Amino acid sequence: MKEIIRITLGLTVSCLIAALVMGSVFIVTDKAKRHNEHVNVQNAMLGLLGYTEAHPAPSDLRLYTVYRYIIEDGDVRTLGYMVPVTGNEAVRYQLVVMDLDGQFVDRFKLDITPEKAQEAVERASALKAVLKPPRTFVYSDSTIIARLGKKRLAYLLPGKFPGFKTFIQVILAIDPSFEIIGLEIMEHEEDPGLGAEIKQDYFKNQFKGKSFEKIKNINVTKEPLPKEYKRYLEAGKGDGTPLPKGVVDTIRSKYQDRDIYALTGATISSKAVTDGVKNIIKKFAYRMNRLDSLISEQHIPVAF
Amino acid sequence: MPATTKTNFQLFTNGILNENPIFRLALSMCPAVGISTTVMNGIMLGIAVLFVQVFSSCTISLIKNYIHPRIRIPTYTLTIATWVTVIDLVLAAFLPAAYKEMGIFVKLIVAFAIITMRLEIFACKNSVTSSFWDGVGMGLGFMFGMMAIGFVRELLGMGTILGHDVLGFRPLLFFVLPAAGFFCVGIMMAMFNYVELVYNRKKRAEKR
Amino acid sequence: MIFSVRKSIYLTVLLIISLFLLGGCRSEHPFVKKTAFKDADKILIEFAGAVDESWARNPANYTVFEKPDPDIRLIIKDISISADHKKVTLIFEDDLNKNQPHILTAANISHGGKSLGSAILNVKKFYLGYLFSILIGAMIINNFVFTKYLGLCVFFGTSQRKSTAVGMGITFTMVMVASAMISWFIYQFILQPYRLDFLQIVVFIGLVSLSVQAVDTVLRKVNPVLFKAFGVYLVLVIANCIIIAVPLILADNQYNAWESLMLSLGAGLGFLIALFLMSSVRERLELANVPPTYRGLPIAFVLAGLFALAFLGFSGMSIF
Repeated sequence: MKEIIRITLGLTVSCLIAALVMGSVFIVTDKAKRHNEHVNVQNAMLGLLGYTEAHPAPSDLRLYTVYRYIIEDGDVRTLGYMVPVTGNEAVRYQLVVMDLDGQFVDRFKLDITPEKAQEAVERASALKAVLKPPRTFVYSDSTIIARLGKKRLAYLLPGKFPGFKTFIQVILAIDPSFEIIGLEIMEHEEDPGLGAEIKQDYFKNQFKGKSFEKIKNINVTKEPLPKEYKRYLEAGKGDGTPLPKGVVDTIRSKYQDRDIYALTGATISSKAVTDGVKNIIKKFAYRMNRLDSLISEQHIPVAF
Repeated sequence: MPATTKTNFQLFTNGILNENPIFRLALSMCPAVGISTTVMNGIMLGIAVLFVQVFSSCTISLIKNYIHPRIRIPTYTLTIATWVTVIDLVLAAFLPAAYKEMGIFVKLIVAFAIITMRLEIFACKNSVTSSFWDGVGMGLGFMFGMMAIGFVRELLGMGTILGHDVLGFRPLLFFVLPAAGFFCVGIMMAMFNYVELVYNRKKRAEKR
Repeated sequence: MIFSVRKSIYLTVLLIISLFLLGGCRSEHPFVKKTAFKDADKILIEFAGAVDESWARNPANYTVFEKPDPDIRLIIKDISISADHKKVTLIFEDDLNKNQPHILTAANISHGGKSLGSAILNVKKFYLGYLFSILIGAMIINNFVFTKYLGLCVFFGTSQRKSTAVGMGITFTMVMVASAMISWFIYQFILQPYRLDFLQIVVFIGLVSLSVQAVDTVLRKVNPVLFKAFGVYLVLVIANCIIIAVPLILADNQYNAWESLMLSLGAGLGFLIALFLMSSVRERLELANVPPTYRGLPIAFVLAGLFALAFLGFSGMSIF
């Protein structure tokens, strides 16, 4: 009997100590983890816009996030856009509700700052205050709109789609005419040496500069990647002699309207990325046009 | 309890050479096959294992007198799991890129036979200092094993070392393919066996 | 002994199938029998009776969208109707993304001149097929040993004899399913709601030891013959990293109970297949003249590499 007590006591004490160690480490690292993730995404976005450490972003560059929610009221679905709005003093969020045909339904003021809006929990509680039950809402996606001074610079679209093995997470930068500025692969689990090559410059840079018209029906081709194009695509890396200015322009115009050259041995991964990008842009363009026309129609003083 | 008579240096080299976890004991083979595509992966996972091994060994040898023999194994498991959780959280927070690269293998350190084995046959009988050096040796041995495989695979498969281009071309893409890990480990083991065979033959010839 | 194993397997399979049949057959509108995807760009609607052709042929009566994108309607290119007017096939301009459930609204279904009201229908892949694809996926396409490189220590240790391999495989599958289901439950209902995700590793390894112990006790009491055959492998199960990897994967992917069951069953059976294949070759290998430096583990690794290359051929395959 005494032994049992000793064993139980021993195990309890060791469990408590273990829990203490893990709990304190969790508290310390959790904040750092979230901060680092945020910084990581932020850097990737700035990188896509062409701002690096050597060439930092100008001070009047602002990034605004628009969150899209699907609101359900019984069988009726509407879309809710959380848009940042310039108020008297600071930027605040408003919820603009639009029906499925793009017509204006309702508009609410939300009590939430842009910093707080980054947390899903905070957004949910702010939305709950204006959307009374039985209306329910589900988070759908978010778009980051970059603004430089008075001009809209680019849209940054985080996206996720199935690859060859599991999901591929990307951030896509497109300009206001929906032409691709850049593509960054954030997370993937493709095979090393094959599908993992989607991260390489010579694949992802192929998307750069493709126009919206081209992207709408872009495809992959299994032809080998031409040498001069590969050199052009990898030019940013700095190894090898940079191409002369005139050559760069001719190569760019030559390959501008070509399809995406598939990776050797990883056609499915290449196709997955191409289709994923095509899908994201097509859907986004459709929605953004509707949102923009609604904003101008309702005279909403949006920040972006 | 028979404490070890070896010096700290002997304990240290023991893990790296005589009882190398990968090539000699053939334990914890999963990461050696699964994520040994680059030297960097080897270093990162090596550091994680080193950390878990050293801290678990020290913890167990510190509290060895208080552990009831009947709950020995659960205590080991709990200790290892705690330290694995710690390193997992730390890596996820401060080195997210490397952490993603290693995927599930960081969490799977908890099932590595090598760590439990060292606790059972060494740390629970020896002083903290000896256990520390034993743990460091074992951890480094694992790290060197991973790095050796990673070196071969990265050099032959991608023509790079630690991400730097050294060859300028890719000799055999086969080596970075997922399945090549098995071949690589098998062939390297055979090479070690061959060296040992030749060495023993020489020794026997000298005796005669 | 074999008989009892077989009987229990049959019973389980029967039980699972019957549960699916109970849950699988239902439709949201009494007049609509079923909806399904067909080919790459078609949706088939089957009605309980004949519908009016003029109604069925009018594309304005249908709205179709992917569940997460209710504002983006899919464009219907053509509609075909079967001779008995019971089956309507919608043909779309673009290929459908079958991984997403689609919502199809058929407005004012017209039957013999009168309206039967509107129907909101869920079009999705056959759920049983999806579950089956998880099972096959974990078993063969993403075999844990040959394509994810997990559980190698035990794999090389117990693949020398066919009898050992089969024993280990069966024991492992049993413990795998038991522990994965308990871990799934604990994760979904305790760890996640209380934001204790970071305790995953400790909790899962504890549950594995617990379920090994539980299977040991139950087997010893219930079926001593079976225990005699498989008891020795129980200790080895805990050293296998697949058993801890599966709960972690389940937690990452947020699978539901059925999907978790299929994945864990697939992982166990996949391990059994891998062990069986390997042991058959290694038994043969004993008769072969292997160079002395390659004897034992090195040749086993090269063999496993060949198997892994063969399994690479399955990768990317999709069923259903």
